[in-house]
Amino acid sequence: MNNKIISPSDALDIVKKSIVKRRSRDNRLKLFGRIAIGVAVCFLLTLFYSIFTKGYPGFFQYYVTLDIKFDRERIDPKGDLSDNSLFDGEASIIVNESLYSIIQPKGRKEKKLAKKIVSSGKDVRIAKMVKNNPSLFGTTTSVKFALDDDVDSFLRGYLKRETPENERRISDKAIQFIDKLNEEGRISYEFSDYILGGSASGNAEMAGIKGAFIGSMLTLSVCLLIAFPLGVATAVYLEEIAKKNRITEFIEVNINNLAAVPSVVFGIMGLAIFISIFGMPRSIPLVGGMVLALMTLPTIIISSRAAIRAVPPSVRDAAYGIGASKIQVIFHHVIPLAMPGMLTGTIIGMAQALGETAPLLMIGMVAFIVDVPNSVLDPGTVLPVQIFMWADFAERMFIQKTSAAIIVLLGFLISMNALAVYLRKKLERRW
Amino acid sequence: MLINNDLKTLDLTVGDVFSQNPRLKARNVSVFYGDNKAIDNVTIDIGNKEVISFIGPSGCGKSTFLRCFNRMNDTIDSCAVKGEITIDDENIYDKKIDVVPLRARIGMVFQKPNPFPKSIYDNVAYGPRIHGLSENKEHLDGIVEESLKRAGLWEEVIDRLDSPGTGLSGGQQQRLCIARAIAVSPEVILMDEPCSALDPIATAKIEELIHELGNDYSIVIVTHSMQQAARVSKKTAYFHLGKLIEVGRTKDIFTRPQHHQTEAYISGKIG
Amino acid sequence: MFSFYILVGILLISFVFFFLGKNQAKKVAYTNKKKLHSLIHYYGLYSLLSSLIPTLGIFFAITICDDLLFAELIKKYIPDEVVNSKDYNFTIVLAQINNSVEGLIFGTPPEWVANAAAIWKSWVLKSNTITVAVCTITILVSGFFSLKKIKFEFRSRNAVEKIVTSILAVSSMIAILTTIAIIFSVVFESIRFFALIPYDEFLFGTIWNPQFEGADRAGSGQEGLSQYGAIPLFAGTFLISIIALCVSVPVGLFSAIYLSEYATSKERAFFKPLLEILAGIPTVVYGFFAALTVAPFLRSSGSIFGLNVASESALAAGLVMGIMIIPFISSLSDDVINAVPQSLRDAGYGLGSTKNETVMKIVLPAALPGVVASIILAVSRAVGETMIVVMAAGLAANLTANPLEAVTTVTSQIVTILVGDQEFESAKTLSAFALALTLIIITLAMNFYALHIVKKYREQYE
Repeated sequence: MNNKIISPSDALDIVKKSIVKRRSRDNRLKLFGRIAIGVAVCFLLTLFYSIFTKGYPGFFQYYVTLDIKFDRERIDPKGDLSDNSLFDGEASIIVNESLYSIIQPKGRKEKKLAKKIVSSGKDVRIAKMVKNNPSLFGTTTSVKFALDDDVDSFLRGYLKRETPENERRISDKAIQFIDKLNEEGRISYEFSDYILGGSASGNAEMAGIKGAFIGSMLTLSVCLLIAFPLGVATAVYLEEIAKKNRITEFIEVNINNLAAVPSVVFGIMGLAIFISIFGMPRSIPLVGGMVLALMTLPTIIISSRAAIRAVPPSVRDAAYGIGASKIQVIFHHVIPLAMPGMLTGTIIGMAQALGETAPLLMIGMVAFIVDVPNSVLDPGTVLPVQIFMWADFAERMFIQKTSAAIIVLLGFLISMNALAVYLRKKLERRW
Repeated sequence: MLINNDLKTLDLTVGDVFSQNPRLKARNVSVFYGDNKAIDNVTIDIGNKEVISFIGPSGCGKSTFLRCFNRMNDTIDSCAVKGEITIDDENIYDKKIDVVPLRARIGMVFQKPNPFPKSIYDNVAYGPRIHGLSENKEHLDGIVEESLKRAGLWEEVIDRLDSPGTGLSGGQQQRLCIARAIAVSPEVILMDEPCSALDPIATAKIEELIHELGNDYSIVIVTHSMQQAARVSKKTAYFHLGKLIEVGRTKDIFTRPQHHQTEAYISGKIG
Repeated sequence: MFSFYILVGILLISFVFFFLGKNQAKKVAYTNKKKLHSLIHYYGLYSLLSSLIPTLGIFFAITICDDLLFAELIKKYIPDEVVNSKDYNFTIVLAQINNSVEGLIFGTPPEWVANAAAIWKSWVLKSNTITVAVCTITILVSGFFSLKKIKFEFRSRNAVEKIVTSILAVSSMIAILTTIAIIFSVVFESIRFFALIPYDEFLFGTIWNPQFEGADRAGSGQEGLSQYGAIPLFAGTFLISIIALCVSVPVGLFSAIYLSEYATSKERAFFKPLLEILAGIPTVVYGFFAALTVAPFLRSSGSIFGLNVASESALAAGLVMGIMIIPFISSLSDDVINAVPQSLRDAGYGLGSTKNETVMKIVLPAALPGVVASIILAVSRAVGETMIVVMAAGLAANLTANPLEAVTTVTSQIVTILVGDQEFESAKTLSAFALALTLIIITLAMNFYALHIVKKYREQYE
């Protein structure tokens, strides 16, 4: 035995002595791993907690109940319930009169202050009500009106009585009026009919996501209709038909590159090509859908190719053996068997597209659009862009509504991903 | 010592199960994969500084039993080991025992050579480094050189110690793995079909090496080649379907097997 | 609306040809008293596709081109004094005319607008008539020719399959077309930008201060004050990415190590998807979180320590971006670590390594190329990220290494410039394209490099 190599018994002693340190290092690594996961989970929970606590109140608002005299001559002077007639009518004045009768403001200044307590959408609400239900004319009915967003913030406790008046967004007199209304039990906290039913508005209390939501649905439909067939067709061609030559390699490199390009760039391309060169209108779901489709295409192609590759060659061999042609094998056997994987990939791609903001900003979807889009050619916006635009507004109520909108968006994303996972589990085949 | 159980085992196993001065003692060892019993109540001694072969048909549990000796089965979740294996009268499966020094004492060479994607020097130096066996660089150099010499690889790699271990041929890689195991000063070396992935020339070199190493280390070698067992080991144990059937001197096993099953395997009737 | 009806009409006629084709095939089979080469429906399909595809092509060509053509031709109808006026902008004029055409009239438009609109409307009418005529002729002609082709020897299924194959091949070209479109749109405008602003000022200039070009023309004395040095933008992008990496690399890597080496299968099944959720959250939500929760928090905790943290700081944006990137590193590293063969771990354990030693000295070094590649990909993602920086970092092109200050990034400037009024002639708008070009080059270069690293070192185990 050469004295360079340690004898086994000496080695054993050395090793035994080193164990404690090494074990503690081992435990430390395990601890670091746990801490790391803990930190990540903490971030996730903080994010969700912050959004949820801000957003949950966004689904509710404060309303005031007033007794409204539905006097036909005053509300609908032309008598035909047309928009023009209602516009000329005195709906707001009637509402104000009802308000004044309760809080009794004195003088012009106080009346002006009192008017602003109720949301400026009062006449629109009356107009909608009489249009839907003309039998209201001639009755005196209780109607709930949304309160102005400053009043709402005060009632929630964000604007405090204690702050000196000149630093407050709401005056002492207004607070007096509100207290009076409260005493009469006319103020209530309800599920907001604006957040989901209303569209973009400069007034926080009237703002809602309906327009943006419909815009999102339209845009996603366009995206799906374009991206899914194209993606599947490309995947099928590359996997089953094309020979492995320079051209197919080039196409593959292209697809991988496109997957790596930042989403903003797709928006820029949409701006330069679809809008400037093709002259398509800005801010329409059709153009948005086209841009998103091109962006999602690589994802769908890559996952579809994986799904096609997972179909075992034995299936194809069996079909060829019976005498099927290549196209028949593809369409009758391969595609149906690969469909679950392709669908899951597509759903995941759509979920990503739903959350995309930057490319749609580029094609102009930042406009302030009040109307709900009726078709893919009407100007519209999408939910993430709406969130982006609202995020700039400092009013408390906007913060809450923005968070509520985020909750809706996340809700959809979670369901889409859950659907994809469910489909994957259910339709998964073990070859 | 569990004398009564020894007698029970003797009912099943034929031959010299026990040794004079055993390094390792296995008593009533059974191994389960889930509900599946892979090794059934095996008792055997591993002698000091001698080579013993485990032979038997494929799938009869030889490798599984081999891996019990250095607790490599711990890495498999579904594996449960019952019974006792002792080294120096300490049961290695005792909860208080740390597996690290055990594996430094009982080294292993695997079926497919698995050098680390590091240089040849770093491959051999890995063990001494983590255990802190060397005092300085010179000492470490010495350990590496000696280990490679004992593995019969030194001459071939002396001028390329920094080149990757994965760049060697199959036989050289396996000798590198042997050198790597030697570097931590083990007492026992377990070899799990070390030549099955090698060509005949490399195999011959390694068999020669094993024969030599038997002078300094206790070696247990699992092999599915009877001829190999005959070439390298003095003692042989025959396993069949998880049971230890017969143990004895290699010469005797192959010329005058006592058990009919051993005889059937030797003559090629089963396997 | 008109387009919709035409499309419906085209589809209906092609369906008619489907049935005509089938009937023709049946006739041929009858007269020859033998079985045809293909199944009957292939003959129908052949007729349908032959009539449909050329017609659709022509229809889309006309629809896309006519607007472009009209825009060119209408220029003759804009009075000279309008063209020569100081703030003449063809896009706006075109929009005016279009509004008038569609009946959106605000107030009283000038007479020439109403005239031009009337002429445009007449052109549209003419174009529609032409479209109907051409499409009808095309579909009928191609349809009848296809019927003629249906003879007994005609292998309809093969013809149909050839058509289908071509359709599939053309679809694959879309990927290339998209790349070309991106390159074209970005490069073309960038070239025009670099005609106005020299390369070296853009790449090496340290002041980014694009003013309205209108200020130049208004003679407010601000000419020549626009500066397009992009270094502050690169610095901002770099700073935020570094902060993001400082968060995501430790968290991502250690999580990956724990999940692949130490975790029980239950832990892994629970935590791995949880980390993936971080990747699924839209970036606008992260931006909102950064701007409304993280930034104020940093600001107030900063003031406790006596530090002045800007309300839109690089730290806030970088932190949140780091959170977003965690799954990129943890998932990819996890995959790479799992790909290291078990035999290497066995060798390590066999020599008496602790788990820690096996992971840090054997597995990680073997997985290192993949881990490095995943980090590069994460950086590439951080560089291209837009919403978080727009919402949480500032717009001030501040050249600083202090994470507590506001900085702006390349992507943030692109958004700011292109959202809002655009004049495609001004250097300001064009600068966004130049920025986009640099962005594309950097991200693609990083992706190539990451792929290269993985490919180069993959040979090591095989």
